[in-house]
Amino acid sequence: MNQRGWLDTLAGELRRRGVDPELTAHVVSEAASHLRDSGEPPLAVFGPPGTYAAAVADSLGTAGTAAPDRVRQPASSRPGPPGPVRLDVRGISKRYRRRPVLTDVNLTVRAGEIAAVVGANGSGKSTFLRICAGLLSPDAGQVRVYGTLGYCPQAGGTSDFLYPEEHFALVGAGRGLSRSQSRTAGRDQAASLDWDPSGRTQARHLSGGTRQKLNLVMAGLGEPDVLLLDEPYQGFDRGTYLDFWQQLWRWRSAGKAIVVVTHLLNQLDRVDTVLELTPARETTS
Amino acid sequence: MIKIWTVAEFALREILRRRGVLLIMLLLPLAFYLSRRGDHLGQSIRFVCLGIGWALSTAALFAGSAARGIEPRLRLSGYRPHHLHLGRLLALWTVGVALSVPYFLLVRFDQDNVRYDAIALIMVLTVATAAPFGLALSAVLPRELEGTLVLLIVVGLQMVMDPADSAARLLPFWFSREIGTYAIDHTDGGYLTRGLTHGLVAAVVLTALVAVAATIRLRRRPHLRFVSAR
Repeated sequence: MNQRGWLDTLAGELRRRGVDPELTAHVVSEAASHLRDSGEPPLAVFGPPGTYAAAVADSLGTAGTAAPDRVRQPASSRPGPPGPVRLDVRGISKRYRRRPVLTDVNLTVRAGEIAAVVGANGSGKSTFLRICAGLLSPDAGQVRVYGTLGYCPQAGGTSDFLYPEEHFALVGAGRGLSRSQSRTAGRDQAASLDWDPSGRTQARHLSGGTRQKLNLVMAGLGEPDVLLLDEPYQGFDRGTYLDFWQQLWRWRSAGKAIVVVTHLLNQLDRVDTVLELTPARETTS
Repeated sequence: MIKIWTVAEFALREILRRRGVLLIMLLLPLAFYLSRRGDHLGQSIRFVCLGIGWALSTAALFAGSAARGIEPRLRLSGYRPHHLHLGRLLALWTVGVALSVPYFLLVRFDQDNVRYDAIALIMVLTVATAAPFGLALSAVLPRELEGTLVLLIVVGLQMVMDPADSAARLLPFWFSREIGTYAIDHTDGGYLTRGLTHGLVAAVVLTALVAVAATIRLRRRPHLRFVSAR
């Protein structure tokens, strides 16, 4: 890794750890200055950029150093008083044949809140989200969405033969955005996930993680009030995973109501509400 | 209307990027045409029209199946069911017209003593019918293999059944045999009238079927209510 690449990676890692942008620029500048003066390779002086960023963040008190995925939410982005209700789910029940999957499930998410839906495989997490999105009918219960809805499926949801920016234009037109507005909004959101979508690569040729980034960006286009995200980070590398949570916090700060399906319990200290679903047993009645 | 055009534009882009499929689509009617050109010129015209119908129906079937993944999220993004199915139909009709033109020119310069305007009419009706037929199949049979097999059965029956048999009128491309007889054998106008009526009814019924299927599949479920943000 050359000096420029090392410094860029350091900047990215500091950003992911919630270090203030000005402070990040200052740390990177200091490191560059030191490297220039010493003439030594950055790996020999500072070690891997991730490790050095963790050490810096730890010394600043903004993040833990033991494991990057234990990053806490930056105190500056914590929301103020709770906002108005954006998603109100009441009494949702759903069974497949004789097997009850969801029984009388309730959830309320306000503007500026993140709700995590957790549970083991087969506990009905994706079913619950599909019901919230109106893609599946429940046997009982109702869902009220106050505003507009964005949905990121666990898989699929893209068109194999279209380029990423064509997806932005397609979804953007539905939201009433012009082509240039869609492209700009898509590029901005993609940049926050450390992804450049401007290439002419058809969706079928994107890696699994990049395709999920595309899915996530499409869900956020047009600034929907409620975001339903069904394990959107599948295939993400660790850096993108951290970027994803930063993006969630930005959406929360912007007053969005977010529901994210996850089975990774180490994320729960980052959310406002946890809805735990348990797999139901088959009934004989 | 902008939303319909947008869906049509991107559906067309998708189809045009399936180069292998396009090549097969282009060659399939030619193979049908050449199969009888040596011994029965009139039959080769009937076959080329059927080939166009088969190729376009198959393309529509695959386009419809491929769209199933993205259409629910487009619905959530502000599109209504008619934006989606009409946009896709427009794209497929455009492809069908582009596919038919070279074959009409082929018939025009390769065959004598046929009613060319009637041949053009068969091709227009074939395109109008084949696109919704393929989309309707994809709506009813979500798995491509099943849809392809049904398509194969329909086109096979179309080729082997006696057109005079009343059951043959249930097949979507029956009109092509009827108008083809008028165009090639110079029969009376009754063939043209029956064929035209059948073609129009088939196109309208299949288009309506696509609309109904899309409306049901992409309907807003009653448990979900959108309330404007306060």
